[in-house]
Amino acid sequence: MGPLIAYEIITENTNLFFAFLIGIGFGFVLERAGFSSSRKLVGVFYGYDTVVLKVFFTAGITAMLGLLFFSLFGWIDHDLIYINPTYLYSTIVGGMIMGTGFIIGGYCPGTSICAASIGKIDAMFFVLGIFIGVNIFNETYPLWENFYKAKFLGAPKLSEFLGISDGIMALLFVGMAMFAFWLGEIFEKIKKPVIY
Amino acid sequence: MKPRILLAIFTIPLALIIAAVPENTTHAFKLTASQLLEEANSGVQYYSPDEIADMIINKDPSLQLIDVRNADEFEKFNLPGAMNIPLADILSKDWQGYLDQDGRINIFYSNGTLKSDKAWMITRQLGYENNYVLLGGLNYWVETIMNPSAPKNTSPNEEFAKYDFRKGAGKALGGSAGAVGESTTSTKLPMPMIKSKPKKKRVQGGC
Repeated sequence: MGPLIAYEIITENTNLFFAFLIGIGFGFVLERAGFSSSRKLVGVFYGYDTVVLKVFFTAGITAMLGLLFFSLFGWIDHDLIYINPTYLYSTIVGGMIMGTGFIIGGYCPGTSICAASIGKIDAMFFVLGIFIGVNIFNETYPLWENFYKAKFLGAPKLSEFLGISDGIMALLFVGMAMFAFWLGEIFEKIKKPVIY
Repeated sequence: MKPRILLAIFTIPLALIIAAVPENTTHAFKLTASQLLEEANSGVQYYSPDEIADMIINKDPSLQLIDVRNADEFEKFNLPGAMNIPLADILSKDWQGYLDQDGRINIFYSNGTLKSDKAWMITRQLGYENNYVLLGGLNYWVETIMNPSAPKNTSPNEEFAKYDFRKGAGKALGGSAGAVGESTTSTKLPMPMIKSKPKKKRVQGGC
C-alpha cells in the first residue's frame, strides 16, 4: 500500500499539499514547545535543558517503531523508501559545521524559521546567514566537489552495517534513547537552572 | 510520573515486540491463496488453439508465445515466433522483463497444460498480469490445428466452418501434411515495454 507516492495513490502535488499541512503543524508544535527560544535550544549543549535531545530522539524512535510496525502489517514497503545516500567525509564535516552554527547562532535551520516567524530578530539574522552560506557553497561548489563526493557509501543502514536485524537495532536504539534521557535529567539537576 | 518513564513504558515493549518478530518480506500486490484458486478454477487463463492460430496467422503483434518446456524439446519443435523460458528458470531475473509487462499477451505452452499451468500460477502469484495458457497444450494443438479431423456429415454448420478454418490454419502453419516436428528458428525478440514500477522519490527535509 505505501509509500503513497511511489504507488501513485497520491500525486506529487497532493504530496506537497500534505507536506504543507504537516509543516504548519510541525512549526506550530515547535513554537508551542518553546523551540523558538535560542536559550532553550542551546541548553542541550551546556546541559541545563535537554528538551531538544528528548524531542528529536522521541520523534526518531516513534517514526522508527511506526515504520517497522507498518512494514510488519504489510502497509509499507521498505524497499521503496528513499534513503539519503551517505558521503562519509561531507557528512562528518557538515555535521561539525551544523553543530558549531547551532551553538553560536542558537538555532537549527527549522527552529530559526519558527522563531523568525514570531518576530525574533536574532532568528531573522540566522535565516539570512543560512541563505548567505548556501550561496557561498553553491558558488564555490567546484572547489569542494571532490571532497563533497568522497567516500561514497551508498545508502547503508546501521543494522546492515552491524549485521543485525532492523528489530534488534530498534531495540538498541530505544535503549540508547532512554539512557540518554536519564543522563540528560542528571545533567539538568547538576546544572543551575537558567531563567528565560 | 515522569514523561521519561511514561515514554519508556510505551516504547520499550513495542521495541521488544519488533525485535522478536521476523521481518515482513511479503509484498502487498500478491494474490491470496483463495483468490488464486478462484482464478485457476474459473479457467480465465486459457486461450483456445483456434484463437492462437488466428493470432499467429494475422501476425498479431501483441502475441508472445512462451515455450515452458526444456531447451531440447524446444529445439525439436516450437510454435512460430515462440521464445523458450524453461519452467525451472521462470524466476530468473533475465526473464522478469518479459513476464512482468503490460505490452503483450504472453501465452505459455507445453506438451499438455501441466507445465504451462504451473508457469501461469507462479507468475500470477507474483502479481504479474497478461500471462495466459494455451488450452490443451501442444498435443491438443496438433490434434486440432495441424491434423484436424473432419466433422460428421450431420454436424452443424459451425463445426464445418471451424474445420475449414483449422484446415487453412494448419496449412499456413506447416501442418496438415503431417509435417509436425519441423523446427522453425525463432529469433530472440526485443524486450517488451517494461511495466511502470513504483519508484523511489527523493525527499527533502531536516530539523
